Amino acid sequence: MDFYLQQLAIGLSVGMTYALIAIGFTLIFGVLNVVNFAHGEVYTIGAFAGLLVVTTFAPPLLAVLLAVLAVGAFVGVGLERLAFRPFRRFSDEASLKSRAMRESTLMSSLALSIIAREALEIAFGSRFQSVPVAAMINQPIALGPVTITNGDLIILGVAALMLIGLQYVLRHTQVGLSIRAVSNNPLGAKYVGVDVDRTIVWTFAVGSMLGAVAGVLVGFYYGAIFANMGFTPGVKAFVAMVMGGLSSIPGAVVCALLLGVCESLSTAFVSSVWSDMVAYGFLIVTLIFFPRGIFGGARERV
Amino acid sequence: MTLLQVQGATRRFGGLIAVDNVSMDVAAGEIVGVIGPNGAGKTTLFNLISGFTPLSGGEIRFDGARIDGEKTFAIARKGVGRTFQNLRIFPNMSLFDNVSVGAIGMLGAGPLSSLRRDTKVATEIAERTWTALERVDLAREAHTLAANLSYGKRKYLEIARALAMAPKLLILDEPAAGLNDSETHTLAAFIRDLHAGGMTVLLVEHNMALVMSICRRVVVLASGRKIADGAPDAVRADPLVLESYLGVEEEA
Repeated sequence: MDFYLQQLAIGLSVGMTYALIAIGFTLIFGVLNVVNFAHGEVYTIGAFAGLLVVTTFAPPLLAVLLAVLAVGAFVGVGLERLAFRPFRRFSDEASLKSRAMRESTLMSSLALSIIAREALEIAFGSRFQSVPVAAMINQPIALGPVTITNGDLIILGVAALMLIGLQYVLRHTQVGLSIRAVSNNPLGAKYVGVDVDRTIVWTFAVGSMLGAVAGVLVGFYYGAIFANMGFTPGVKAFVAMVMGGLSSIPGAVVCALLLGVCESLSTAFVSSVWSDMVAYGFLIVTLIFFPRGIFGGARERV
Repeated sequence: MTLLQVQGATRRFGGLIAVDNVSMDVAAGEIVGVIGPNGAGKTTLFNLISGFTPLSGGEIRFDGARIDGEKTFAIARKGVGRTFQNLRIFPNMSLFDNVSVGAIGMLGAGPLSSLRRDTKVATEIAERTWTALERVDLAREAHTLAANLSYGKRKYLEIARALAMAPKLLILDEPAAGLNDSETHTLAAFIRDLHAGGMTVLLVEHNMALVMSICRRVVVLASGRKIADGAPDAVRADPLVLESYLGVEEEA
């Protein structure tokens, strides 16, 4: 029994890291209806930025997070400029919803993600960069039969804060209302005075800030940062987003947790090298049986 | 005073001339109807005015300044409100949030400042939103989702959203489309009321009875050209109009 409890705790903690990535991913999808394949690299860049800050200044974690938020916003704005805006030349409804539009930004964001990954590899090498022990967040905490780490609590706290903060921004601020309006009907928003281009830049800035923070937290949690680290979690976050119904942020978070727990418990039955199969299995099952996400018709957009 | 001045507006799509050298004025406080058979270029003309489609030739002035070449949202902020034939509401937002987007664009609080707090701008946004919702009699449903609204009420929601912008010119694109006779009647009374309250209205409509009953002046387009411009009675008697538009309808 203790074994399962421990696996459950590990699963929740892994799921929480997927959720961190999925939130930003889903936000961008919900507004633009395009998949941002570079989100995993934003996560990696966030981790490297955090590492650089820590090795240079060794500030407290909060300061690192603030620096990474700034880097994330910067990267998000650049990403939108390079990979998305050039394909938004035509603003009529037919081109906004066209497959060509979706596929071209899919390719351009994928291309940019490859460039970012290779550039990081050239700059830092392909080996793991280890995080200074003092900056790591993996001090064990015993909770009855289960051992967790302070990193689990920090990640849980940050994820909760991100969700609440995002809901606040979306419901109570000018930018949030504009983001929701653009997500609902970009042309309608334009005609009532919403600067759609600027709103999309904001969306990328916010989504990428969340992605970058996820990267630094997970990097400091596992203690290893490398150029390729964004790929697998990016795929998991993508699966969580699809399972959650594509544009529902709460749905994606719940599914990310579910995914983490299932992966972790699966190691009780099969070798842990197979645990990645759980995510792909879920993806296939979802697409076949729940094409609108496992929460079905109640689709809530951003 | 001339509020909107369209001069020689032309729009070509490849070889097709959708709007051909059209000139028209709308004075402040006027209510003008634009009619014409399908494909006459009415919607393109409106898209030119609201900056959605760039002009191929000519110019458009609003409130004394040229607006052609400006972006759609910037033209909206100058005071051009519009509604759509196929509605463009925000279905997954409450009615209140729908309408307040109109007010936000015009008033512009800081991007991250709270709209629910008691700041001056936030209060004004809320006030404008409530006034607009009350104007269309939807204040009681302010917190329901727009997706749950009936088709007829969605039209009024869209009008309320445009009113929250406090526009100088309100463009209504086929407001009566899809409404039955009694709904159309109520809508006519509503538009007349808006106009009586000082609103300048530009109306595109297929429903001739509606246009003739509420507009003091009617502009007729056919095949992208303006073929008549005058009082409803004069337009109705114009042989060119009869031939290209009204006559066809009577035969049909």
